[in-house]
Amino acid sequence: MSTRAGSKAPSAPPVFSLAAELTRLLGPRKVLSNLSERLNYRYDAIAFGETPLCVVLPDSTADVVIAVKAARAAGMPIVGRGAASGLSGGAAPTEPGLVISFTRMTQLSIDPVLREAIAQAGVITLSVTEAAKPFGLIYPPDPASFRTSTIGGNLAENAGGPLCFKYGVTGDYVQGLEFVDADGEVHSLTRDAYDLAGLLIGSEGTLGLITQATLRLTTPPQFTRTLMAHFAEVGQCAEAVSAAIAAGAVPSKLEFMDRACTNAIEDYLHLGLPREAEALLLVDTDGNDLETVEEERALVEAACRNAGGTVRRAESDAEAAQLWQARRSVSPALGRIRPQRMNEDIVVPRSVLPEVVREIRALGDASGLHLVQFGHIGDGNLHPNILFDPRTESLEAVHELAHEVARVAIRHGGVLSGEHGIGSMKLAFMREAVDAGTLAALWRVKHALDPHGALNPGKVLPAEEA
Amino acid sequence: MNNEIRTHHPDGQGELMAHAVDACVHCGFCLPACPTYALLGEEMDSPRGRIVLMKEVLEGALPLFEATPYLDRCLGCVGCVTACPSGVPYGELITSFRGWSEPQRQRPLLQKVTRAAVLTLLPRPGLFRAGASVGRFAKPLSPLLPQALRAPLDLLPRTLEPAQPLPALTPAEGVRRGRVALLSGCAQQVLTPNFNSATVRVLSRNGRDVVVPPTQGCCGAAAMHTGARPLALQQARRNLNVFEETQVDAVVSNAAGCGAGLKEYPMLLAGEGEADENRARALAAQVQDISEYLGKLLEQGELEPFLPTSRPLKVAYHDACHLAHAQGIRSAPRALLRAIPGVTVLEVPQGDLCCGSAGTYNLEQPDLAGQLGDLKARNVMATGAEYVVSGNVGCHTQLQSHLTRLGSPIRVLHTVELLDMAYRGQL
Ligand SMILES: Cc1cc2nc3c(=O)[nH]c(=O)nc-3n(C[C@H](O)[C@H](O)[C@H](O)COP(=O)(O)OP(=O)(O)OC[C@H]3O[C@@H](n4cnc5c(N)ncnc54)[C@H](O)[C@@H]3O)c2cc1C
Ligand code: SF4
Ligand code: SF4
Repeated sequence: MSTRAGSKAPSAPPVFSLAAELTRLLGPRKVLSNLSERLNYRYDAIAFGETPLCVVLPDSTADVVIAVKAARAAGMPIVGRGAASGLSGGAAPTEPGLVISFTRMTQLSIDPVLREAIAQAGVITLSVTEAAKPFGLIYPPDPASFRTSTIGGNLAENAGGPLCFKYGVTGDYVQGLEFVDADGEVHSLTRDAYDLAGLLIGSEGTLGLITQATLRLTTPPQFTRTLMAHFAEVGQCAEAVSAAIAAGAVPSKLEFMDRACTNAIEDYLHLGLPREAEALLLVDTDGNDLETVEEERALVEAACRNAGGTVRRAESDAEAAQLWQARRSVSPALGRIRPQRMNEDIVVPRSVLPEVVREIRALGDASGLHLVQFGHIGDGNLHPNILFDPRTESLEAVHELAHEVARVAIRHGGVLSGEHGIGSMKLAFMREAVDAGTLAALWRVKHALDPHGALNPGKVLPAEEA
Repeated sequence: MNNEIRTHHPDGQGELMAHAVDACVHCGFCLPACPTYALLGEEMDSPRGRIVLMKEVLEGALPLFEATPYLDRCLGCVGCVTACPSGVPYGELITSFRGWSEPQRQRPLLQKVTRAAVLTLLPRPGLFRAGASVGRFAKPLSPLLPQALRAPLDLLPRTLEPAQPLPALTPAEGVRRGRVALLSGCAQQVLTPNFNSATVRVLSRNGRDVVVPPTQGCCGAAAMHTGARPLALQQARRNLNVFEETQVDAVVSNAAGCGAGLKEYPMLLAGEGEADENRARALAAQVQDISEYLGKLLEQGELEPFLPTSRPLKVAYHDACHLAHAQGIRSAPRALLRAIPGVTVLEVPQGDLCCGSAGTYNLEQPDLAGQLGDLKARNVMATGAEYVVSGNVGCHTQLQSHLTRLGSPIRVLHTVELLDMAYRGQL
């Protein structure tokens, strides 16, 4: 039934011809076209989008090339998808088309001499560090989703995590990458000449499909110390962070959560966290010199006490591991409070943190909606979340509050996306956050790399003004 | 997750399902915990994907038959429940969904026959024993049979242990410190009769009168999880009557699946009227796994001490899904094993992943069950243990058959069998 796809319009509806053509080229195991299958490739961890017309699960870069060329010929948009743990709607299609899901491209090798990992796009983040461990190496970027998320998704979002305050984000560890462009051509990039790899990193699948990455590995610190502090007011927590850093401490992780987060986590893990505290701070200091590590912890401890906090040290590795598991579970645990949420990912200068968290808290209290805050406070990266039930609460009020929160960030010299990307969720704020000239420049880059507008349309850049 | 399930299903079971779907924030944290996702790498075979599929079917947006291949591959291991920070009761969702969907399904004849056979034989140890004996002789025919029939034959032991009938009452040894009832389980009475005998001995040694009500029946878990809700309800009501009359401190189970089944009665009877719902909750509150019960004694310093082993002994502990994930019991069995002087407890790599036994899964999804069994057996072998113990007959047969196939000398025992041996100085 299928004819060779070409620019001549086939007679069957495009959905059938594309799926049939891809099945012919790739075999049935790699192509999904039933409704039940396609329905499952329309969402990420925050949004539901359009049901794709066809899904491809490639094993190799060659499969990706075939899929991209076939979709191009059929005039279909293409959305890349990792584990769909994204929090900005990036992998949720805005129009029906082809989804390429990388979850089966999981080849991974470690080169202990060069201290590099070569990972296909579908490799799970955590498995890089696990594979590197026997060689005495680690891969530091540690988004809270690291048991689920893929390297491809991490690169596409330039993901960060608690360790990034001291060690840097995903992009800092990419030595090179391989990608398939909008026409189905394969390119291998390193970080020299024009840093095109740098452009692909954080581009959310709108400039090319990343098929493989070469990642830098490093040696783990010999010693790590963990402490938890809690505060009667959110601003105090932010003050403690600023003071600790000003005093010269460089903790490896500095994470904050407010009272609602702590309670949702307690309901899940029953660790005995202080349910009454308005803010909780989790801190790791690490390094190869135990004395310095302990000193740094003491600096943080003093800063917390001065700001009015109560400090507890983790007594064992197991206790520290539990506290960090708690931190990683915050975002999904919020589902216990309300079924839906609007989440933000603002970054503000550390000097204004206390004002920002206080202003956002006040906006939440005044709104009558459930607003919670947590985040990588060391980098000034906060995730204010508005939790709501669409059956009983007004969506307009939710959007209004989200907008207000974004304005707080912008007013204090901050930006809208620290690590989750713009996707479709934050598109509406882009015009306020980026001036028209810059937006036009970004569009020129998009046109240069994706001239047909086929790659993840409707993401990152708001529609061009006519 | 937004849904319209309540509008389409305005009853008790509909409420259960709608609540579970509401609670899912589709974060994907459960993906790495799911054995089928690990094997197949497809969203439809993940917990999050299945929740979306059930939602679509319940809302009438997707025909049931389109979703069933993926929902049927779910082991019901509820590894996803442990992994879910949002508290999604996935086990309740899939069980209620199966109860709702089964009556509408058309199954091929062979499947109907095996399902009916399992649900008829399981609760009747006499019949099951007869069937198992015949099955043993049919074992050599196995390669000639369709896979649906081959799988159960492959799992049967080469020899059946003689039955060990249990007295209706075994009195406490020494000072009487309590009175418990034992849920005797179905398949295990035939396949592994020593589980119950060992349990009775250990409880009695700890000063408990042990009642084994002869009129008790199958817990109903197999029926409940395969969607045969009317049969499950009938079996549950019978047990409610029997155990309400026993006047005991606790109803003890040594089969993780059955214990979890009794603890799920409130979910099964949801929507069956307040009186029944209350009775279900009261019984569920009394049910304790044997390791949970003994673990509490250990914690309170009331457990009779074990005799030391004659030489250092390495024991791998395998978490049965229906203990670890469904009942949240992980530390008690390990603590009990560690209380035997001379025993080192070893962890099985990828311990959270189901062994593939999962009730009737071996019969219905033999291919995936085999892959998971193989993976589990290899992980157990990697520990270098001499014994592997677990708290469930399904895991026991699965481990036994895959370890034997791989030529491993590791002995498979129930946790309580090892405790019993320690009391008798046999280790
Ligand atoms: C509970 C929770 C906690 C989180 N914590 C953090 C955190 O601490 N830090 C953080 O940075 N993020 C966090 N995230 C967000 C998310 O996990 C990250 O954005 C992650 O990088 C997404 O990876 P993924 O494989 O799931 O990608 P997906 O969600 O599948 O895709 C994300 C984007 O990348 C694109 N994409 C995916 N694969 C490719 C590819 N191979 N080539 C090109 N484009 C591609 C998609 O089109 C989409 O735009 C969290 C998410 C959750 C649910
Ligand atoms: S972890 Fe829980 S909330 Fe997240 S997708 Fe899985 S079931 Fe849903
Ligand atoms: S019950 Fe087990 S098999 Fe089923 S979805 Fe959950 S983790 Fe996967």
